[in-house]
Amino acid sequence: MRSSRRFTVALVSALLAAAPAFAQQVGTATAVNPLSESTPPGGTTAPLVVGAHIVHKEKVHTTPAGTVQLLFTDKSSMSIAPNTDIVIDEYVYDPNANSGHMLVSLTTGALRFVGGQLSHQGEATITTSAANIGIRGGTVTVIQGPGGTKVINVAGIIKIVNGTGTFLLTRSDFGALIQGWNTVIQDLGRIPTAEVAYHQAHTTSTLGEDGGVPGFTGANIGHCGLGSVQGTNCPQVPWMPSDNGALDASQILGNATNFGAAQITAPAIAPPPRLPPCGTRC
Amino acid sequence: MNPLFQGILAQPANFNNALQYATLAPSSDIESAISTYEQLLFYNPSLASVRFELGVLYYRLGSYEMARSYFASALTMKDLTPALRRRSEDLIADIDKKLQPDQFSGYVQSGFRYQTNAALGPAAGTALASGKLFNNTFAARPDGNWFGAFGLNYVHDFEQQNGNTFEASAVGYDAQQFKLHQFDIGVMELRAGPRFGIISDTVTGLSIKPYFVATGATLADAAYYGGLGGGLTARIKLGDVVLDPYTEIVQQSFRNLTLYPLASGMSGTLSTVGLQASGPVYASLGFQSRVTYAHADANFNPFGYNAYAGDIWLPWNFSPLGDGRTWTLTPTAGVSWWQYNAPDPTIDPNTTPNILEWRLGLGLEVPIWKLVYLGMLAQYRADVSNVSAFSMHDFSVTAGPTMRF
Repeated sequence: MRSSRRFTVALVSALLAAAPAFAQQVGTATAVNPLSESTPPGGTTAPLVVGAHIVHKEKVHTTPAGTVQLLFTDKSSMSIAPNTDIVIDEYVYDPNANSGHMLVSLTTGALRFVGGQLSHQGEATITTSAANIGIRGGTVTVIQGPGGTKVINVAGIIKIVNGTGTFLLTRSDFGALIQGWNTVIQDLGRIPTAEVAYHQAHTTSTLGEDGGVPGFTGANIGHCGLGSVQGTNCPQVPWMPSDNGALDASQILGNATNFGAAQITAPAIAPPPRLPPCGTRC
Repeated sequence: MNPLFQGILAQPANFNNALQYATLAPSSDIESAISTYEQLLFYNPSLASVRFELGVLYYRLGSYEMARSYFASALTMKDLTPALRRRSEDLIADIDKKLQPDQFSGYVQSGFRYQTNAALGPAAGTALASGKLFNNTFAARPDGNWFGAFGLNYVHDFEQQNGNTFEASAVGYDAQQFKLHQFDIGVMELRAGPRFGIISDTVTGLSIKPYFVATGATLADAAYYGGLGGGLTARIKLGDVVLDPYTEIVQQSFRNLTLYPLASGMSGTLSTVGLQASGPVYASLGFQSRVTYAHADANFNPFGYNAYAGDIWLPWNFSPLGDGRTWTLTPTAGVSWWQYNAPDPTIDPNTTPNILEWRLGLGLEVPIWKLVYLGMLAQYRADVSNVSAFSMHDFSVTAGPTMRF
């Protein structure tokens, strides 16, 4: 009897634990540095591991040493800094229709969102206590702290809405600060390079970490610096034709020769008219 | 769904699959490549090549500060190769210029040019339909010259969300012939105006710019031409392609000279509409192009015209020595069609002239030292006209040091 009861408890526990696995997968934890945790809806908090399915309503938490990258089925990704709490509030994506929407709430911490199909349609939103941050075709860094929400536009159009109105961030590397839901959104202008570098460095592994996947020692990436032919992705340093002045000069000179010049030589001296042998008397 | 992407979702630890996905990501899907390289950076943050690639991708997105952050961190990695160092340093220097409120770019060039037809005129002894002969002073003859040229672009960024700027540019060219000084020519052109960014919640990269333009030219070492006018241009970014449609009106004033006593007849208003476009073609092959329609009124009606023109430059960057230093090979081509208003009675009283002009060229810039290049250019130009005096062809070769900044 006792063993049967023990078996039942174990079975129920197993079913409860397995319940989140039946929820629809919306993404995958593609890199995890300890300690990061997740809590599926109705499940228990457990350390997050590489390859773990991320489901609708899942909570993700990083400790002071933890960083995570989540990849979603619409190809968007999130790189999450230490001491961050997020919840995947809503996620609907139909790959056949390429449509849906996602809503992620950021309670505290920082993340960089790199856009996918949903954000290309303006259907990705990050919410904080101070604002709703709509992302169109873009990439954005959002930091939520005691002073409010800071938004740094990496690329695309970021539409920030709170109780005081709407603010559009349309320029890369520019930012806005929202101190509270009823506080006017503040234009921060260009974000200093050092601050951008700081947030970049805090949303990935530090030297010595491996994101939960050891053994990646490098690969021959066919990029700009290598080989004699530069790759497709290489940015080209701006180039301007150096013959524009010569082209202008050539046109002026051509027209001068054609029209401005005294094109005609002095009229040749006409030979005297030939008179008939009989002179004027004929 | 892309099987490689499905593979990442199912088995993210298979980094070979992820790497393949990132390298095969289409150039229009920069963000997918960023997500995947950032995944790989999680697995090994000490790889300079991954950091460099991320810098490249953010650069292409227009986030120069993120790009700079990745390039700068690549420079601190132990596995950095000399070629990667050079490319990273070049791109950091370029980004640092872009992040300044006052940005200067341009070129200065000097050198020698040889032309088979320095006059850009018809063959000597060309008979005119009017029964007279073309003045041999302006007939086709070879000559060489020394020339100097520069182009300077200035942008003041007001550091505003809408991207408002003030822009100015200057282009100058001066050539002194060795023998045929009637063709010594100098040209200087200035353009300046404010650019207003247009903020929209659906599109980025839109702006308009009103501007003024002033041009002056000397011919045979005497003041010959002045132009003053203005225009309006817009900028539209479609992915990596930049479009600049424009319209412009210039009041042209030509001055009669002893050798060019009929020049003032060309004075009048020049109205132009055009489109400039630039962007990548494939890999490191880019393009710059310009198509225009121009209508010129002239004091002497036969000198007025309607003209259509198109030019394209195809700069191809490559590094034949594998040291990260960039050589640029630039094929160019252009075509113009002029239809003049009326016959010129002194040349051919019965034929209204038209001219079809072809221009072909091949330029090569070889890096010599830091910003200094050796620039070489071979060009062929041919004018075909229904009036023999306007037909000509010219082949020219140009060589000299060029500094780009």
